[in-house]
Amino acid sequence: VTPEFDAYWRETLDELDRRPACPEIEAIPLRSTTFATLYGVRLTSVGPYRVFGYLSLPAGRGPFPAIYYAPKYQSVLEIIPQGTANLQRSRYVTFSLAGRGQRNSDSPYAAMFPGLLTDGIDDPASYVFRGIAADAVRGLEFLRSRPEVSPSRVVVVGNDLALIAAALAPGATHVVTTPALFHRTAEVAPRTQAYPLEEVNDYLRAFPHRAASVRRTLGLFDLTAFAPRVSATTLLLAGAPGSLLDGRALEPLRSALGGPVTLHDSEQSSYKDGVYAERWMAERCGIGDVEAILPEHWRAR
Amino acid sequence: MPGTAAAHRCTLTKPDDFDAFWDDVLRQASAIPLDGEIVPDPLRTSDDVETFQVFYTSLDRVRVAAWYCRPRRRAARTPAILFTPGYQMDPPIPKDLARKGYIALSVAPRGKLRSLGQFNPGYPNLLTHNVVDRHTYAYRGFYVDTWRGVDFLLSRDEVDPARIGVTGSSQGGGLTITTAAMRRQVRAASAGAPYLCGFMDAIELTHTYPYEEINDYLRLHPERRGAVAETLAYFDGINFADRISCPIIVNIGLQDNVVPPETGCALFERIGSRDKQLHPYDGHGHEAGRARHAAVVDRFFARHLLGREASA
Repeated sequence: VTPEFDAYWRETLDELDRRPACPEIEAIPLRSTTFATLYGVRLTSVGPYRVFGYLSLPAGRGPFPAIYYAPKYQSVLEIIPQGTANLQRSRYVTFSLAGRGQRNSDSPYAAMFPGLLTDGIDDPASYVFRGIAADAVRGLEFLRSRPEVSPSRVVVVGNDLALIAAALAPGATHVVTTPALFHRTAEVAPRTQAYPLEEVNDYLRAFPHRAASVRRTLGLFDLTAFAPRVSATTLLLAGAPGSLLDGRALEPLRSALGGPVTLHDSEQSSYKDGVYAERWMAERCGIGDVEAILPEHWRAR
Repeated sequence: MPGTAAAHRCTLTKPDDFDAFWDDVLRQASAIPLDGEIVPDPLRTSDDVETFQVFYTSLDRVRVAAWYCRPRRRAARTPAILFTPGYQMDPPIPKDLARKGYIALSVAPRGKLRSLGQFNPGYPNLLTHNVVDRHTYAYRGFYVDTWRGVDFLLSRDEVDPARIGVTGSSQGGGLTITTAAMRRQVRAASAGAPYLCGFMDAIELTHTYPYEEINDYLRLHPERRGAVAETLAYFDGINFADRISCPIIVNIGLQDNVVPPETGCALFERIGSRDKQLHPYDGHGHEAGRARHAAVVDRFFARHLLGREASA
């Protein structure tokens, strides 16, 4: 971790602190059920920039465990991830946030996919992920401010932004992260032709003279540099053995994390990997009957 | 055949005027010039693959975007594959297909990123947008946008019109079914975890998004259930399936919680082609065994479009 890393993120968080969130919360009857009510939430982040999220509150008296779905590299904002049983919302407060550029947070900045990963990448100050990381922190702050949330059971779920948010903001008790963008990117990207990392290859092919500045920016986002700040209990979801970001590749990240870590190798089955993650979260959040909130086709028959 | 899923009884019926409805839609679409445009994209072009942004006009004169990739080294007439996107997926740049020797078009039907200037119901919402009126339902144009992708490929001199395939998974699997049904020029089709098939059964079998959008809608408007079911029958992939005559493979995950395998089995039964294969993957969810199945798909297209057996 370089002095530049500390200064960069301190300045980003200071800027965020100076910017009140000014939340607006509005019920969405179409997506509300007998067991949960859905709200649309708007918050201000650095820029200033207004971002949008979906907040779901279970029926009944809390406090409830909470899942924070951090911004993803995709245009669509999901209420809960595709394939998750809607009944998850009966046991957890859930909050999913669209970082700037994603749908519902795409005015005035509408991101392209591919395109987001390298937008402004030659200058750390203008790199779009600086703002998105701040958005992710703002979302976690908002969730923790809700009286319905049990502060001892806050799970941050997602890809790189889940881990980054947990590192930069207090309050995450658990993290479920699947690194995809910022694990040793400068070294890993040349070994793949698949997007999103192919964006970096495209960019450097077009602008080879910017290689040093790109490497500098990516260094400020490297997950291993954030890892010591993460004290939450973490489930690190690795790719299948032999894949680009498999358990072996992620070992430096695993060993750098500041809290207890479980590393799980993907079984290349969304069913098996999904059940594993759902059980892992439920056990740590005191939900004894996880079977009842699993999707129908995942339940034991 | 997977036991439990295959035992499912499909409740779908085909409207009497199904063919007339779609004939009319096709007639409307055929009156609209394609006005294809192809723009080089140097940033996304590499040593082995040239990438272009494509635009064409579809039903209601909506302008549709797509990615077009071609191998730098290719024959004067090259086989082509249309890639159709998942529900929430941002249509990818299909360089991987170009690296396998195909010209590839990855279409962004209306409402998708890059095709949302004139139509943008959003996600969630697309699935129920105007769902009580088949003449304005979101997927009426969305389907045609995809089928026009085949028309765009046929408009290209460098594409061999006798060797066009279509593939996709999830929503892309459903779009593969309707495209193979409605464009006879498609010579081979590979559909993964086909969504948009057996809608009204699916919403009883699973309670996950995106199908849950329909349950949300019916919870708020229970009196509209009949109208919703009536509309969806015109858009159900199962009702298109008997029109498919090309070789086709379908893969499903038996623990798929997004697209219930029961609906995949019902679809497969209705496919008209005599050259059809179902690949059920036990222990797999919505990815439908992709890691193992990818080699099956490669061999399938290599045989039908490249005229050779591919290495696994």
